[in-house]
Amino acid sequence: MSERRLEILKGFYQNYVKPFYKTAHKAKDEGKLVAWVASTFPVEILLAMDIIPVWPENYASLCAARKVSVPLCEKAERKGFSKDICSYARCVLGSLFDGENLPEGGIPKPDILAVSTCACDTHLKWFQVANRIFKKPLLLLDVPYNVESTSPEDLKDYHIKHYVSQVEDMVSLLEEHSGTRLDEDKLRRTLELSNKSSNLWLKIQDHRKNIPAPMGAREAFSAVYFMLCIPGTEEAVDFYERLEDELEQRVRQGIGIVEDEKYRLVWDNLPLWFNLQMFQYMRSLGAVVVAETFSHVWAGTLDPSEPYESLARKHLLNMSNCTIERRIELIMGLVKDFHADGVILPTNWGCRMMTIGETLMKKKLQEMADVSSLILDVDSTDWRSFDEYRVKTKLETYLKTLK
Amino acid sequence: MFVPSGYVVSNSCDNQNKIYDLWRHCTTIQKTYFINTPHSTTETALHFFCEELERFREWLTKSFEVEITEENLKKTINIFNENRRLLRQVYELRRQKPPLVSGSEALEIVLSSMMIPKDEHNLLLRRLLDEIEERSIPFEKSARLLVSGSVIGNPELLRLIESVGGCIVADDLCTGSRYFWNLIEEDGEPMKAIAERYLRKIPCPFMYSSEERFRHVREMVKLFDVEGILIFSLKSCDVHSFDAPLLAEELKNNENLPVICLEWEHSLSGIAQLRTRIEAFIEMLE
Repeated sequence: MSERRLEILKGFYQNYVKPFYKTAHKAKDEGKLVAWVASTFPVEILLAMDIIPVWPENYASLCAARKVSVPLCEKAERKGFSKDICSYARCVLGSLFDGENLPEGGIPKPDILAVSTCACDTHLKWFQVANRIFKKPLLLLDVPYNVESTSPEDLKDYHIKHYVSQVEDMVSLLEEHSGTRLDEDKLRRTLELSNKSSNLWLKIQDHRKNIPAPMGAREAFSAVYFMLCIPGTEEAVDFYERLEDELEQRVRQGIGIVEDEKYRLVWDNLPLWFNLQMFQYMRSLGAVVVAETFSHVWAGTLDPSEPYESLARKHLLNMSNCTIERRIELIMGLVKDFHADGVILPTNWGCRMMTIGETLMKKKLQEMADVSSLILDVDSTDWRSFDEYRVKTKLETYLKTLK
Repeated sequence: MFVPSGYVVSNSCDNQNKIYDLWRHCTTIQKTYFINTPHSTTETALHFFCEELERFREWLTKSFEVEITEENLKKTINIFNENRRLLRQVYELRRQKPPLVSGSEALEIVLSSMMIPKDEHNLLLRRLLDEIEERSIPFEKSARLLVSGSVIGNPELLRLIESVGGCIVADDLCTGSRYFWNLIEEDGEPMKAIAERYLRKIPCPFMYSSEERFRHVREMVKLFDVEGILIFSLKSCDVHSFDAPLLAEELKNNENLPVICLEWEHSLSGIAQLRTRIEAFIEMLE
């Protein structure tokens, strides 16, 4: 069984991630501001103000991939932070408390911190703790939790209004702090680019509906980097255009990422950042992840003529800001559209937002879509409780039950 | 079997939000409501919260065919505030040496306030405050402790501390002082007053800033002449778990107070280890 690596992803880390951190570290020399940003914050606003976004979540995943996350988590735990809280947070906080020989010279220090309540409580608490060290402005976008709406059109007006008025206040604060005004043309352009990159990203996902799938989770969790970190840039669009081309070719030629595709899976939540080879192992069994929920939370077209309102509409509907039904629907949709045989639900211990309700999800997926799922008790960043043999056995056993 | 007519959940933390989901699937309760409580205390947030509470009021009115008048609201606010004042009076008794009410007793008193109609509870509290004059407790020198944490729904944990010689005189708990410390403004519009009180009370750590809560702990330390602090982190109560080391550091470094941080679970598993550590801490104080 041969591995068919995607050309565009060769050297991905060296070509894209390393320079990104280098730029952020040199920001001060270039008179630019650096912002710590948590995912689901409308980063397009910051990009339009030439503020460099740095993502502590990305930094944690990078530390895990470089196998230094656990020692960093331990540093945070020695300072009294519970082992039960988010491993991303423990890892990054650990790197601040005691930082020597850190990947990419450590996480770049912020001039501003920006977080929304959209994804989880942990983002705010994590940044609050870090800000005891930095003492910089901490912006909180307080996003109303969406209980009822299922589309951009049926969102509550007063939710959108509340989101927009906070963004307007935030922009004033940022302008005051940075000494520069938000360039509206640049914001429009950023939104256009963000749309372009997310449309390309969705096209890329569409290719994975093919049998065999030209791309799996290993590639997706690298390539999603642009959607997460710098969606509204020429760089994102360029990369996704090239990735999309390569996939289109592979589909035309019938080249799957795995030679002998036997099982097609949907993967919920985060991967094992410290053990991305797990996907290779699964492929050796003929199993390919054809869709991840993580890849499908970026949908939502932005309207450059109504920037704040369309950002509100997009983020209010983010799966993490909605009730469990939306997540179940998303997974069911992915199973159907991507012709999946099964679903993997990794627990990511410490992530309350994703963990609570997994058994309910498993039950509902079986009842409503007649699809079975496998719950894996693992963490994305902290490998101390990871039992490789046990996880592999569970996977093997599960795959045998499919088809 | 008692089945509630409905349930209401506030947008406090991820755990709460998910409870809203799970109960919808695991119970037969039909009428459910989610109050989108803001996580900041700005004017914008207050305005949003006022409107949110109006919407909640409308839902209650329609769903249960009740009337919620301004007059009723004012009356209820008075009764609730009376309960808060009386609970404060009970807590005043803990300033004495020795305190006339123990920590576990105080917890039971506050917990019972959450479970029965407030006007009934007020009657019980008035009786208690009368009767307690007769109480005499032999003076035993023991370290005066403050317990900080989130929800302690069972006095067993506090009794454990008391069983090893701890004298709990104050607390910073969701089910303790933070439940009743702030009153509702009785002049002006009742709905606005309710919104203001609940949004701007001594905060739970899900809010934007914990500074007000840390200030409350320092105030409790002074008022109750506290000599040692136990900070309890409840497993999976993440917002508190992030705050705990910060609070501990502040109390140790700025206030020069002995602090111990302990993790625990509702099931009280690992209780033997907890007891050992608490006992050692108390011995160290004495």
